[in-house]
Order: sequence, then C-alpha cells, then structure tokens
Amino acid sequence: MSSLDKLMNLEGADAAFEFSPTGELTDHRLAEGSKLKSESLDLLAHTFVANIAIATMQARGWESSTGQGGFYPVQGFTLVGLEFSTVGNGECGVVLRNDSADFEAAYAALGS
Amino acid sequence: MIKRLLALDGVMAVCSFRDDGELVEGYGVLEESTMRRMAKFSHDYKRMVQGNTDQFSMFTGLSGWAPPGGWIVRGARTSVCSVGNLVCFIDNAEASLNEVMSDMTEVSRY
Amino acid sequence: MRIYTDLALMDGVVAAGEYSWRGDRYSYKGRLSDEMARMASIMCRATTLSTHMQSDILCTNINSKDCPFNESHGWIVRGPQFSVCVMANVFCFVENQPDALNRVFAFMRERLMDAEELV
Repeated sequence: MSSLDKLMNLEGADAAFEFSPTGELTDHRLAEGSKLKSESLDLLAHTFVANIAIATMQARGWESSTGQGGFYPVQGFTLVGLEFSTVGNGECGVVLRNDSADFEAAYAALGS
Repeated sequence: MIKRLLALDGVMAVCSFRDDGELVEGYGVLEESTMRRMAKFSHDYKRMVQGNTDQFSMFTGLSGWAPPGGWIVRGARTSVCSVGNLVCFIDNAEASLNEVMSDMTEVSRY
Repeated sequence: MRIYTDLALMDGVVAAGEYSWRGDRYSYKGRLSDEMARMASIMCRATTLSTHMQSDILCTNINSKDCPFNESHGWIVRGPQFSVCVMANVFCFVENQPDALNRVFAFMRERLMDAEELV
C-alpha cells in the first residue's frame, strides 16, 4: 500500500498528498465528496514547507537559548481550521476532520 | 503624496494601508479589488516580518533588527516592497530597488 | 480558572500559557522559567500571525465558502520529545507520550475553537 493510501486510511481523512522539498504538489488522493482540489493541496504543501522552516529556526533558537532540547529536528506541523486540520511532515501531508482527528496516529503515519 | 512614487521607473502600483490592513489609498495599474488584497497581504506580511525579526533579536541578542524597516519579496519579473504602511508593486526590469526603497522611506515619514 | 491553568494540570502537559495579541504581556503555569515563557509567547504569537496570513491567502485562492481553513484556528508543531499546540492566544507544551496530544487538542478545541481572536 502506498504512503498516500495509508494516510487515506486514517479516520476522517479528507485528502492525502505528496510534495517536493520546495512544496510543489507531486501526487494526491481525495476522499469521495471532498471539496478540496489539487490547487488547494499545492498551497497547503507550500504552507508546510514554510512553517516547518520557521519552526526549525524557532527550535534551533529555543534550544540554544534555553538549553532545553526536544524540539529539533522538527517532525511535523499542523494547521488547524474550524472543521478540518492538515498534518504534514517530510514530503507528505494529510487533511483530517477535527471531530475525529487522531493527530498522534497521523504523525506516526507520517514517520514523525 | 504617495502618488509621487508612481513617477519612479518601474513602479506599477503603490498603496498605503491602515494598521488593520484596510486600504487607505492606492494608485497605479491594479484594480481596486487587487489593491485591497495587496494592502491586506502587505499588512499581514509586515506583521510576519515583525515576528521574525523579534525572534531573531531575541535569540541572538543583536540590536538593530527590530522593529524592521521594511521588506522585499522578489519574484521572477515583479517584486513587492514595503516600508512602514506603504507598499509598491514594481517591474524588476525597469525599477531600481534602491531608489524605490529610499523614496518609500522618505514618503513613509510624512 | 483560566484555560491555560486547566491545561497545565493535564497529564503530559509541560506548561501552558496565554499571551496578549500585542505581544507585550503573557501568563503561564508549569515547568518553564519566566524568560522561557516570554520567549514562547513571542514565538507562538509570530507563528499564529503567519498562519492567519496563510489561511487568508489559501481561502482567497480557493475562492469559495468551502475553504476548510477559513480561518486559521490554531497550529501544532511536533518535535522528537515535545509538541506545541496553540489555539487562539493560548499555548501548550506537551510531552510526546501516548494520547497526550489528542487529549490536549480535544480540550483546547472544546474551549477555544469558537473563541474570537482573544481569550
């Protein structure tokens, strides 16, 4: 089973997608009835790349300033919307319904 | 006053925005709705850059970075640059970035 | 009780706090020094401002009432040992122990999802 199909098996999965290191969408799956389009997933992919880069800067700064480790390397970012969230790590992301989202299962599926 | 920035080579549009992101005034080739979006984007981007410079100052202890003076996003053919609550949309081939930033700094003080 | 003080009492939570939108005030409870809480507030506020811009752009581009991220309500960042979960202006540092993040998210969603921008 491909990594996208595994992500689509997560409870409440609305979409799963893969992207390049710079955020261009390379492959995706949509659940039946999903209102998302590939263009939207491409934007979400760029959102992940941007936020993980910023979070990495924050983790580096935090760890060197406070001496408290445990944040670097960043292993994923989630954007929370009203009804949906999108969880991403590496070069994959998944969109989940908030009412049934299991973030830990999503991060595990994303290799975090 | 901000209209004078349009006289610079390569400046296609200029607008000013309020601290809540609403357009105050805008001139140039962009439609009103696009001008409003540029004002909102510039306001949001300004806050994001402020956040990043705050963090850089906090982590490094270096002075001279916060608050930021402005920002530039360079595209392949066009760029967006901002100082204070002003933003310009420019053609890279025609505009002198130094000149635009310098004039925006001056106009932003009025 | 403030939401962050309730959060700080949950299993797996290292610390929780809230910050003002102007960024000049913060409160917290848990295993952080005052300076760490100040830094956490600055960092969380900066990322929250970014995600608001991103969701605005995302939903402008999708150009429909169907945009699932209209607007950004929060975010989570995952590290090897800890995760940070933020909703509205409340932040929570969570240990990556089984189910802690899901419980924290469920609590924050229930209490903060309908919050306007400020608690």
